[in-house]
Amino acid sequence: MAFDSPLAPPRTSRLRLNLAKPNQEQIVLLITIALLIGFGLTLHGFATLSNLLNLLRSISILGILGLGMGLIVISRGIDLSEVAIMAGSWAIALIEMQKGLPIGWACLIALAIALAIGIVNGIMVAFVEAPALFVTLAAGFVIYGLAFSFAPAWVLYAPKDAPALMYLGGGQLFGIPVPIFVFAGAAIVMHLFLSKTSTGRFIYAQGDNPEAARLSGVALRPLIVLEHVLVALLAWIAGLVWVGTTGSMQMMIIQGTMIYDVVLVVVIGGISLVGGRGSVFSVVVGCVLIGILLNAFTIMDVNNEVQNIIKGIVLLAAIVLDNFLHPRDEETARQGD
Amino acid sequence: MNDTATLANATGAADQTRKPVLQVTGGAKIYGGVHAIEGIDFDLFAGEVHALVGENGAGKSTLCKAIAGAIQLTSGDIHVDGRRVDFGQPRDALAAGICMVYQETSLVPTMTAAQNIELGNEKLLTRFRTLNIQAQQLLQSLNFHVDPATPVALLGTAKKQMVEIARAIYNKARIIIFDEPTASLTPEEIVHFFHLVRDLRARGVAIIYISHALEESLQIADRITVLRDGRLVITAPAKSLNRDALVQHMVGRQVAQGIYQRSKAANQRREKVLTVENVTMGMVVKNMSFSVYAGEVVGIAGLIGSGRTEIAKIIFGALKRNLVNGGTIRLRGKPIRYRVPRQAIDDGIAYITEDRKANGFFETMIVDDNVYIGKLATRLGFSFLLSRARRSKLANYWVERLKINALQRKAKIVELSGGNQQKVVLAKSLGQDPSIVIFDEPTRGVDVGTIPHIHAEIRRLADEGKAVVVISSYLPEILAVSDRILVARTGRIVAEFNAAEATQDKILYAAVH
Repeated sequence: MAFDSPLAPPRTSRLRLNLAKPNQEQIVLLITIALLIGFGLTLHGFATLSNLLNLLRSISILGILGLGMGLIVISRGIDLSEVAIMAGSWAIALIEMQKGLPIGWACLIALAIALAIGIVNGIMVAFVEAPALFVTLAAGFVIYGLAFSFAPAWVLYAPKDAPALMYLGGGQLFGIPVPIFVFAGAAIVMHLFLSKTSTGRFIYAQGDNPEAARLSGVALRPLIVLEHVLVALLAWIAGLVWVGTTGSMQMMIIQGTMIYDVVLVVVIGGISLVGGRGSVFSVVVGCVLIGILLNAFTIMDVNNEVQNIIKGIVLLAAIVLDNFLHPRDEETARQGD
Repeated sequence: MNDTATLANATGAADQTRKPVLQVTGGAKIYGGVHAIEGIDFDLFAGEVHALVGENGAGKSTLCKAIAGAIQLTSGDIHVDGRRVDFGQPRDALAAGICMVYQETSLVPTMTAAQNIELGNEKLLTRFRTLNIQAQQLLQSLNFHVDPATPVALLGTAKKQMVEIARAIYNKARIIIFDEPTASLTPEEIVHFFHLVRDLRARGVAIIYISHALEESLQIADRITVLRDGRLVITAPAKSLNRDALVQHMVGRQVAQGIYQRSKAANQRREKVLTVENVTMGMVVKNMSFSVYAGEVVGIAGLIGSGRTEIAKIIFGALKRNLVNGGTIRLRGKPIRYRVPRQAIDDGIAYITEDRKANGFFETMIVDDNVYIGKLATRLGFSFLLSRARRSKLANYWVERLKINALQRKAKIVELSGGNQQKVVLAKSLGQDPSIVIFDEPTRGVDVGTIPHIHAEIRRLADEGKAVVVISSYLPEILAVSDRILVARTGRIVAEFNAAEATQDKILYAAVH
């Protein structure tokens, strides 16, 4: 059969393994499975259910942030203020809770702050046409400064008696930590959004070729604002889980390297900074890979410096691998010469 | 291949005493199991212009890159002056006197002409003055009017090319390969360029000339080699060939000519759809005025920089005309000024870009998705949830109507031929149900066999009652499809012809003077 009947649309599944020309997600998935088996056989205490659940729980916050970053990197943008939005909005919410504001209202305040920052970011990028990299970098500084002046403490603690607030981060459902459900739910919703809606298609189109998208009639500016708002929304959800897990919010993380970890999991899984490539699956696979490595290092008692070196090497390896598998060679350059 | 051999012999009569400066025997290059070129026997004599023609992907570039050392042949030999050579990298070929002048100029824009000429051969210390004087002498000896101290970014395309050629001569090139040298030159510059090429030939330089414009190859070349699907079809003296013969060799079959016909109805004017009155944008478009009627094809000819692309983009909302004294554009009598192309699309205007790679299609997506996105981006075609059924229905219709190669539908669009890519870009815009369609260079980089399909579609759209504007630098195309021909020069419409009375000479005269 030369090709399917014309009425059957070509089905392209991201998960289908094409051995002749695997994509980066598939390679990272294979490496992840190999590591899982390798560590499971060699490391004592790795392949236990509680450890694996702990592993998944530990990556869920990174994963939720990664979903937002993945979305915006697919659209050829970036949002370096994501961690700052998470910490800043929740720091203010927690200080309000300490002052006696009802918890529900405080959470909504955090949400409102997060979304407002997202809208401002989006407007700066879409309408003022400033580069997203600098807009969001600057936004990170401003959020840090503002949040610190409202809530002048390195660590802000959640109120003691707030089980509802703690549930998403610290609770268990069927013996499984709730953060895993939050991550999975967010991933599924994001996947459906990106692959089943026309807005999702437009995001890919924008990342692939913004000018072509504009000339095709895609409303780019509202789309860019929407993307930054979604990033802020995911930052808020990640913050909710963070507060529930740790019972506090640390302002230090704004100044730390967490935002690079978020970019790392996104890029490892095959979401290219060029835009238009990769999917939610990339984020999940990238997260799990990093989670396995960090978990195994903890069991092996590898120190922090070595962990950082290995993280860096994994990132480089992912990029080199991608270049090796998809070379910009004569064959592709020849097309339409 | 018998006729090939006899024709080659006929050419060789005068040349048999001389030895070729360059000889490729049994040249083959394999990419991922596929022969890009195969069994190529090619020779080149000093003081000869040898044109290479063929469709996209026929192997012209591959052959020339192998000769220039940019890639290595999988099998076969290259001989220069009778000695077998093995170029590991472009530098080796350069040392042997082979230089390739690329389509996209390979000059460093921020450096001066003189610095670019010396690029790659810099001494440790050179005084600017010495450098400039040397470059000046070289440029003058070649009769090029280029100031060596000007940064290349400030030079026009034609002068950039002169700098490239000067660099080749500076590198003592004996064999120069031109890849689409006239693609972005104006007709006057092309005439000058041909003088240059003849001058180089008189100096004994051997020239390989790659061009899409067959007329040019016939005009400038001594011999022409036609490649098809990586194989050499024929090598023959240019005098023994004509355009039709070349096309036939390139395509390997008779090309359907004249499958489109002017409709009779076009002459009886219908509704005036689009009126452009005194539109002005900066120094590029000045007081441009014209109208377009439903059911006709208006051709806009003009040189690069005449404002023809800009006026299309202004109508479409991709560029903005002056706010004050910017003129008026009316759509069915209603004045319009679009902020973004989306508004133009909603009003039924389509603009099909001249540069599909830069802003025409989405390279990571398959054919169906490219077509479907165009539809989704319209007000009526939008639906929040994607529907595979709607996508296939839309794509099937356009694949069928435009004869897009259906076997390649699962391939990403970058893997398609230029002609199929262009058809997908057409489908993306035409699927938006426009009533005005503006084509900008509809057949640039499109294989010869596909051009009649696109011309037929242009006529068909007009016959369906749409107003069609075709902007093209290729005059035979303008003459073939238009009912009415406008000529733009320095931002104005300076002449208007009926299809019956227009000739290439008349149009060119209006465009230049």
